[in-house]
Amino acid sequence: MDTDLWANIQPGEELLAARGITKRFANGVLANDHVDFDIRAQEVHALLGENGAGKTTLMNILFGYLQPDEGQIYLRGRPVRFNSPQDALRHGIGMVHQYRKLVPAHTVLENIILGHPKARGVINERRAAEEIAALAESYGFRIDLKAYVWQLTEGERQVVEIIKALYRGAHILIMDEPTSALTPTETEQLLQAIERMTSSNLGVVPFITHKLPVVLRISHRVSILRRGRIVATLKTAETNERELARLLVGRDVIFDVKKPPQEPGEPVLELQNVSALSDKGTPALRDVSFTLREGQILGIAGVLGNGQHELAEVIAGLRPVESGRILFRGQDITRAPVLERWRMGIGYTPAERTEVGSIPDFSLVENVALNHFWDRQYVRSGFLDYGRLRSLTRNILDEFKVVAAGPEARGKTLSGGNLQKVIMGRVLARKPRLLVANLPAQGLDIGAIEFVQQQLLAARSQGTAIILISEDLDEILMLSDIIAPMYEGQIMALLKAEEADRETVGTLIAGGQVRRSAG
Amino acid sequence: MLLPFFLRSLEAAMIFTFAGLGELVNQRSGVLNVGIEGMMLFGATVGFIVAQSSGSYVAGFLAGAAVGLLLGLLHAFFSITLRVDQVVSGMGIWIFGFGVTTYLGAPHAGPLGMERLQTLFGISPFVYVAVALTLVTWFVLQRTSLGLALRAAGETPAVAEVSGINVTRLRYLATAFGGLMGGFAGALYALYYNPVWNYNFIMGWGFISLALVFFSMWNPVVLFGGAVLFGLLWQLSLNPELLAVGVLSRYLWRTTPFIATMLILVVISTGWFRRRWGAARPQALGQPYIKE
Repeated sequence: MDTDLWANIQPGEELLAARGITKRFANGVLANDHVDFDIRAQEVHALLGENGAGKTTLMNILFGYLQPDEGQIYLRGRPVRFNSPQDALRHGIGMVHQYRKLVPAHTVLENIILGHPKARGVINERRAAEEIAALAESYGFRIDLKAYVWQLTEGERQVVEIIKALYRGAHILIMDEPTSALTPTETEQLLQAIERMTSSNLGVVPFITHKLPVVLRISHRVSILRRGRIVATLKTAETNERELARLLVGRDVIFDVKKPPQEPGEPVLELQNVSALSDKGTPALRDVSFTLREGQILGIAGVLGNGQHELAEVIAGLRPVESGRILFRGQDITRAPVLERWRMGIGYTPAERTEVGSIPDFSLVENVALNHFWDRQYVRSGFLDYGRLRSLTRNILDEFKVVAAGPEARGKTLSGGNLQKVIMGRVLARKPRLLVANLPAQGLDIGAIEFVQQQLLAARSQGTAIILISEDLDEILMLSDIIAPMYEGQIMALLKAEEADRETVGTLIAGGQVRRSAG
Repeated sequence: MLLPFFLRSLEAAMIFTFAGLGELVNQRSGVLNVGIEGMMLFGATVGFIVAQSSGSYVAGFLAGAAVGLLLGLLHAFFSITLRVDQVVSGMGIWIFGFGVTTYLGAPHAGPLGMERLQTLFGISPFVYVAVALTLVTWFVLQRTSLGLALRAAGETPAVAEVSGINVTRLRYLATAFGGLMGGFAGALYALYYNPVWNYNFIMGWGFISLALVFFSMWNPVVLFGGAVLFGLLWQLSLNPELLAVGVLSRYLWRTTPFIATMLILVVISTGWFRRRWGAARPQALGQPYIKE
């Protein structure tokens, strides 16, 4: 590591500057178009951009995964070139990944020292532990170095990544979607940690897709990236949510999707003390009970890994129930096979769009057919009726404004948002009585999120009962009729939309107790 | 009567240990070596021929280890560089070994015809080496940065890479080591344990070593324990009269180590076992690493 490079940093001094960064991909897409960006000591400079705006490309260039076609990166005024992430690490750039780059089966300590230039030969665990503990302490982090990473919460894992970067001597910390998988409490802790980090001459660059309140809260400056270009760099104190959203999307954005009041109908789904196991065989759902009626949205709030996924799979019939009963319109479906459930009117949109939700190498028609092949309508004398399936696909593409080359385009050629529209469209085309939507808006752009949310409300007004699983509390609060915070496989409460607020739900999904007024 | 039985069991255990330690290190880096049987056959046959022709045990051991190393590099080239399915590459090496050694060894069929190697307190000195190597392997894997990097490469190669580790190089190294140890174990078998060449005279010991790695939960010390257990079983299958005279045919007794292997594989495949010990398996075992 180049130690001279980072000697005697003055507060406010420019640490890193990217000038005229341009990257064109083989398919001709201009991902970064003369991007200028800089980061100063003691500063948080947020980079805001939707999916496809060139954010990931810029991040990969700053961390050495990619090299720019044009432009230059400077560290404290000196031109540098990063040929690999190792190069960037050596130059004091640290990265906190959205999808954590940690070894789950190893301890926290092992993860932090992995690949560290100082840890050569026989590892002196005690000395490393002392150094790391002192470092963590100085930034106010508390972490058990002997714990295994798989035992940690998302927030703790993020702390491990931050400490790992700092232990490697990072002076600039790039953070990809830093708050995306955190509970409100963890988010608060992170924001405080970032404040402490910036008081010690570090520069922090969070890359954020659409969490505007986070940007406003933590950053000193914000740059907005749209279609590969920086459209504005603003002082955070001089801007607001509405202006940022407009710059981000390129048009005005309506924040509140209006949920019309509606009387719930007959009960559709009833869970009675349902318990189930995770893939690892540990208890994942404990005694879950609720009743969902026609035209209701049940919002399952919580940090991922608290049983939401298992709940969705149990209802979809993809995971066996250990104990308890599931009733669908009064009929026991606890052990009913998947296809029977589809025929009865249950629809499922999985969170894993490319692993479970679709087959990337299949055409859109074939992907749509996966949800309809058993329907008599689409079978003619024992064979699939491709003509009808094609026109169904075409209708879905039109109705859901999917950007695709046509019904014969392969699934993998679609962006995340467009693929999600196809997955939702094919289920909603069946007019299901129950829709289990597992993270329907996760990872989508503001525009696509708006659209997906409106589709859910449209299905609700047609009487579809919906289970909405989301990590985004605002989304849950905005769309749900009943809110079910989940923590460690349990539903902590069933709150009516009127009586739920951010704070209550945030406390419950972190396992906290809420004092309830009597009655 | 019983002492020679135990000593002989330990000598069988040392061969399982050498082959198994190579396989274990190999697997912890994320590369499965199903071809270990073929590598042992090669090491045994080449070691046997070289020792017999040159009259030198040292030359025989070196040749056996060297041919194992070459096959390890071949397996690395197929499974790491070309990203061929690791099982397919391993099976290919086994079948290749089976065919080629049958051809190469045929003119040398029969006893080695050299003075037997010396023993130390009644057993081969290599038994002590096997014990030492078990401890060294454990230490290197658990207490050095090389071991940490190797384990990370087998768990989540992308994380290792982003931490500044060259996954490809490490996996090559581990696979070459696996081949070297397989070849050496084969030579030890042919030059000491059973110095009579016959086609396919490794008789599945490579596969037993492979199964032992799974049995060991990727822990070298447990592996050594398993190797001793199988050494005893093997000797017992040869001398069933030690336990029960005249019960069942000798040929049925001969199958016991293989039945035990299958039983172990069944047990470790159960959900019960995986729930308790599943975390020990290298997460990326068998998966080629593709750099982003």
